[in-house]
Amino acid sequence: MTKSFRLKGVYPALVTPFDKNEEINEEAFRSLIRNVFDHVEGFVPCGTTGEFEYLTFEERKRIFDICIDEANGKKPVIAGTGDPCTRNVIELTKYAQDAGADAVIVVTPYFLHPSDKGIYEHFYQLSRSTDLPIVMYNIPQTVGGYLPRRVIEDLVDIDNIVALKDSSGNLTYTMEVLEKVEGKIDVVVGHDEVVLPSLAGGCSGMILASAQVYPDVWQKVFKAVQDKDTEAARKHQLTVQKLSRIFCRYGGPVPVKIALKYMGIDMGKARAPLKEGGVILHEDREEIRLELEKIGKVPPSEPTFELPEKPIEKKFEDIGITPDEIHAQRILVGSSSAGAGLDKVTIDLVAGPKNGPVGLSFASQLVYLRRGYEALPSVLEPNLAAKPCCLIVPTVELKNLRQANIMYGPAQAGIAKAIADKVQAGIVPASIVDTHVMLTKAFVHPNALDRAILYKNFYRATMDAIDMAFRKGVS
Amino acid sequence: MPRVDWLKGVYPAIVTPFKKDESMDEDTLRKLIEYQIKDVNGFVVAGTTGEFVYLTDEERMRSLEIVIDQVAGRVPVIAGTGASSTRGTVDLTRRAKDLGAKAALVVTPYYFNPTWKEIYEHFDAVNGVGLPIILYNIPQCAGVHQQWWTTEGLAQLDNVIAVKDSSGDMPYMTALFEKIRTKIGILCGYDEVATAALLSGADGLILASANLIPDIWQRIYHHVQKGEMEQARQLQQKIQKLVRIVARTSGNQSVKEGLWMMGFDVGQSRRPTMPGDAFRHEDREELRIELEVLGKIKPRDITYDLGHKRIHTKVPATPQTPSFVENFSLKVGEGYAGPPYHETAHTDLLIGVKGGPVDTAIERALKADAGAGKMRIVHDAPKTLLVPTITTRTKKQEELLYVYAVAGLKWAIDASVEDGFLPKEMLNDVVLIANVFVHPAAANRHRVKVNNYKAARYAIRKAIEGRPTLEEIDYQKESVRHPFKYTP
Repeated sequence: MTKSFRLKGVYPALVTPFDKNEEINEEAFRSLIRNVFDHVEGFVPCGTTGEFEYLTFEERKRIFDICIDEANGKKPVIAGTGDPCTRNVIELTKYAQDAGADAVIVVTPYFLHPSDKGIYEHFYQLSRSTDLPIVMYNIPQTVGGYLPRRVIEDLVDIDNIVALKDSSGNLTYTMEVLEKVEGKIDVVVGHDEVVLPSLAGGCSGMILASAQVYPDVWQKVFKAVQDKDTEAARKHQLTVQKLSRIFCRYGGPVPVKIALKYMGIDMGKARAPLKEGGVILHEDREEIRLELEKIGKVPPSEPTFELPEKPIEKKFEDIGITPDEIHAQRILVGSSSAGAGLDKVTIDLVAGPKNGPVGLSFASQLVYLRRGYEALPSVLEPNLAAKPCCLIVPTVELKNLRQANIMYGPAQAGIAKAIADKVQAGIVPASIVDTHVMLTKAFVHPNALDRAILYKNFYRATMDAIDMAFRKGVS
Repeated sequence: MPRVDWLKGVYPAIVTPFKKDESMDEDTLRKLIEYQIKDVNGFVVAGTTGEFVYLTDEERMRSLEIVIDQVAGRVPVIAGTGASSTRGTVDLTRRAKDLGAKAALVVTPYYFNPTWKEIYEHFDAVNGVGLPIILYNIPQCAGVHQQWWTTEGLAQLDNVIAVKDSSGDMPYMTALFEKIRTKIGILCGYDEVATAALLSGADGLILASANLIPDIWQRIYHHVQKGEMEQARQLQQKIQKLVRIVARTSGNQSVKEGLWMMGFDVGQSRRPTMPGDAFRHEDREELRIELEVLGKIKPRDITYDLGHKRIHTKVPATPQTPSFVENFSLKVGEGYAGPPYHETAHTDLLIGVKGGPVDTAIERALKADAGAGKMRIVHDAPKTLLVPTITTRTKKQEELLYVYAVAGLKWAIDASVEDGFLPKEMLNDVVLIANVFVHPAAANRHRVKVNNYKAARYAIRKAIEGRPTLEEIDYQKESVRHPFKYTP
């Protein structure tokens, strides 16, 4: 059987841009399409990333029209016409056909959860109502269930059912479908994290949210697989693995729109109730920018900060402990670094009795007299603080929540673990854990990214700083 | 075998006490039995709460022997004899019969996910041993949830006398009432719905929380027997939070830590069960407070040495509570409560004597704030300075912090005055700094308040009691998992 439409190569699932009033922003939509035009095989408007479920039918029709106009017959448009109700899918598909779409993509009917018969009937009735090629769409994360493999097996015998987009990311499902339908329809991957294994397994292309952010990378992966160059394919997939994970798992259209905005393509915000600060946290926003920098999609940022070389006893003046006090009151100090480049960490540590300058500094730092240098206690994990109590003060100003989060996670945990190990080893005497406190000034580069390495570096630097501070014992 | 008369009332699924080296602690097991026996109708040994999957067959039989010996015929003893294989289950059931168990509690075979046919034949084989059998449905652990028609079929086996349902799935249980109530006994094993189950016709309860509060369960059971529905309901509500913690976190760990706080040194659960894991640190704080409210953790005298004077107070004490507390120049406590993520509260709390570093820091803070109103005194006695961890930028954030988080903080201070940790005699001698975190994306106002109440209350207690202890840290430091340690 020859199908009328073959689905191959890279397709972006286009976002739907909105203005401040949540109305469709036509100009922005046109610019989005123009921006990716040369890098993709065709377009998918009103998919999940296009927030189709938040659009009225009239709005979806308008989006189809604009997209078809921009594609101008040069590249295929696959219109997202899915809906829980068969009748509505038929109506939207009819419109798409008349408007000049090349195919439609139709999601498994959701919410009222029809069983196999209802799902079959949904696609069957649609296929009878239109001449357009139909792409079935499996996305259990949003639908709440899989498009059953046995139903697909029966549907592929219908002439104008031409492909399946599988966004599940579940390769056991993908392979099962491929085994059953290979040669009868095309199967494309819709989950950005598993593009390479899906292509390697037999998928013929992809429809992806991230294909409007880095279509060039996906073209390289696609080509490398066709050229049977597994090493190259793997390399390209891994350069975007983290961003793809963020797009797939941290709220779909929201992070994609954030990424596009960093790239100078302002698509506005997603419609409520989706919001930044929901699945995608404020503290992870900057993470997207730094990843885009790495693949050259936004120009690199080079934060400036000062790290003057000072003798150790002068390193605590900004937190209110003077060299004189350090000498006169036998306050313990130590300093050490670990790691290199972006992952370099420096710890300056001071320890002393609660009723002396260190105790006063501890209490004073916790009331944040210095904006951007907010202190936090070292905890092994929330509700399990280190002993002796230790406050972490950033050496370099924290300018965003992501930076603060590096302090919250890797610094808090790494420093606390070092303290716990040094107490257990007897280097920090157990007898002082209730009478003394510590402060550590912690330096980490504002663009540092790899938290696993940072954790280890915070740990190592603190271990060494403690050794230095406590080498002569506590008097 | 028809329904039996003896199987009714309250059965604790008794924990298996361990010593520090994880070997069985026979003495504590005997003590525990004596604590519970006056309020219970029998015991279940080596059930889920007894960590049966962590015990060797020899240990299971040994603990059964100990319990049977200690109980000495006063009440029936039911042996947990479930195992994943039929061969193992039959063997354990046979041995339990020889040791004098009155019945066997047999869990649905787990791990390999056998089909209903294989499960039926499993029980058919165990039925051949001749010891009365209680079917045991616990999908949370076994991974398989019996259907009413499987249970109905198994109920026809001649040695099956009852089913214990720990699923908490009331539609399933109501189907059992309809289908097999006249044939076999029906026991509820899910603490949160126990009264509802009794009122619907359940014969009795086998519960993890009956280790901690056997007396209250017995009173509930009696109310239901006498048709006093309202009293039963009210009592259930009184323990609802406690049993929710037990039922939804880790039954064995929560019960063991609860018993330990009540003075029974039952030891740690065997690994991989860990403190602060499924039973989270905050669950432990909450469980403690619930046990205090129910009178299970008693107040004890302790002395605070403030330097210039000493204060005597009474606080609900666990074995970790010191009798003498000093170093009041600076006390540090940290408390965290959540989820939901966006409304988590994280409080860093300082307590210090007037004229000490904490007092000086407050003066400095107010001076630096210079009327901007970001830092505020939110409580008079003890004088308490609120410090926002993150500077508020919107009206919504401001409301959440200064109205709702502050309400939670004040609630915690009042509760700590009430329970003795901040004794009235001390309120004018010490000052507090509360560094309070409200996430910029927080939304649910009530949760912000509740979580801040919890976090601040834990922080106050931990500051006074000097928790965590070094011993706790040593036990847990390799397994801790800071949630923000990982790249997205």
